Amino acid sequence: MNQLTAILEGIGSTVQLLFRAAFYTPTLWRQRARFIEQCYLIGYTTLPIVAILSFFIGSVLALQAGYSMSNFGAKQFIGSLVGLSMARELGPVMAAILLAGRVGSAIAAELASMKVYQEIDALETMNIPPARMLVLPRLAAVLVMMPVLAIIADLVGWFGGALISKYTQSIAIEPEAYFSVLRRFMEFKDVLNGLIKAEVFGFVIVLVSCNIGLNTRGGPREIGAAVTKAVVTSLILILVLDYFVTKALMHLQS
Amino acid sequence: MNNAQQTARVGLFFLLGLALIWVTFETLSDGKVFKDRGYTLIAGFESLKELKQGDEVRMAGVKIGSVEETHLSPSGRRAEAVLRIDPKVTIRENAVASIVMAGLIGTNYIGIELGTADAAALKDGAEIQTKVTPDINAIMSELGNLGKKLEGALNSITGAVSGDGKTPGLFQKLDKVVTDNSDKITATMTNLQDVTAKLNQGEGTLGRLINDPKMHDELVASVHEIKRVASDARTFVANAQAIIDQVKTGQGALGALVFDEKTATDLKSSVANLRAVSDKLAKGEGTLGKLLHDDSILRDAQAVLKKANTAIDGLGDSGPITALGVVANSLF
Repeated sequence: MNQLTAILEGIGSTVQLLFRAAFYTPTLWRQRARFIEQCYLIGYTTLPIVAILSFFIGSVLALQAGYSMSNFGAKQFIGSLVGLSMARELGPVMAAILLAGRVGSAIAAELASMKVYQEIDALETMNIPPARMLVLPRLAAVLVMMPVLAIIADLVGWFGGALISKYTQSIAIEPEAYFSVLRRFMEFKDVLNGLIKAEVFGFVIVLVSCNIGLNTRGGPREIGAAVTKAVVTSLILILVLDYFVTKALMHLQS
Repeated sequence: MNNAQQTARVGLFFLLGLALIWVTFETLSDGKVFKDRGYTLIAGFESLKELKQGDEVRMAGVKIGSVEETHLSPSGRRAEAVLRIDPKVTIRENAVASIVMAGLIGTNYIGIELGTADAAALKDGAEIQTKVTPDINAIMSELGNLGKKLEGALNSITGAVSGDGKTPGLFQKLDKVVTDNSDKITATMTNLQDVTAKLNQGEGTLGRLINDPKMHDELVASVHEIKRVASDARTFVANAQAIIDQVKTGQGALGALVFDEKTATDLKSSVANLRAVSDKLAKGEGTLGKLLHDDSILRDAQAVLKKANTAIDGLGDSGPITALGVVANSLF
């Protein structure tokens, strides 16, 4: 019962935080320096790890697809398989998981320590709502940066798959054939679908991490617990939301 | 890190992201945000097969636009593709569009023929003529039918040749004939071998003809002779023609006979005289009449005739008719 109450409390405070942050949206232009800084931290510094991970996800997808598809002669369709999987599913999800690990944890740690060391209380005393100064720039930044990360993940994954398809002896599909099949069986709406998903994931990760950070109680030990909680919650939410968002988008686009 | 540098990096990063999204959009759906110029044509087909939005439109192989939309016609009786064509390209009224397959895995484009320069240009929203091209499925089913027919034909041939178990086939029959007559065939072969051997050695008339160069030379000479005679005959015919021409113009005795009425009356009177003379002869009047009715004179005359006959026989031996003469006669 206690657990259930905690979960409901978490959901409720997250929604409250969202509304409070949305209420301060007009102040965003005044905090543009903070917004840019958050963009830098969320987007720019996350790029390398997203690129590396996507490259290998695409490669391994092509490798596994080549292995399983050559059994029934569908090897030439690797391009469409890798393309669609990366764009619709793995690109956004992998980018979101990295964001949760790299950015969600950092946000939770930062806000939790601010809370534990009573900096948040100090801000509130100075009539600076944390939702405005700490949460809004992060949410705006992730909304702007997430599509960029997702499209880079998609493209790097495609090229990784193409590279592996060409140079793996048991597959040996020329990039031309790979991309021709990819183009043939893909539409921009597939990519758009992925970008929308990435946007949703990123937004939820940052919001949940902020909320968990701001709601930390107790001493310094709670900072680590907050980080763990933020990452675990983010990952669970990513995968649960993935299903529902995908289903909703399919329904909308058909 | 100073603030301006950070801002620049974030800006650059964001622009990069937008550019990549843009490139993906362009590549995947042949995006038309900046390309929405040009005019549209409607192409109606019985089936669009694998054609989809964003596929290319090519005229004589050059890309001139793309498929903007595919839908069923309002009447629902056919499929229509809306083609967006580059404004610089003019499409003539008699240009024909067809769906062309560029690859086996279903990459298609719409191919438009050039049309002729004198036909009117198609306006925006006009409908272009189309024709149906067989797709891979049609070809495959056609091939399947062909295969079945071939198989049937092969089966009947096999039946005829090797028999169907009940009636003997061609091979069995041939085999039987050969086995039954093997002695005769061998004998025939031996004879044939003898004959060809003799021919080869120059024995017999045919052998000599084949093997003796002298015979060949003579044959060639004979042919030359025949040619010469033929040219002689030609001059003879020309002379005869000249004579006939003279007769036609009434020159000479024959000409007079044919073309002069006075001569005809003379001839009639001569014939009448001749009849009077012969009447007298029949009655035994005059020297000639006595001659006809007196036996002794007949006997003398017979003896004279016999002598004359022997004399003519001798003459016949000394004047042979040459083979060439006969040949020349038969030629003309």
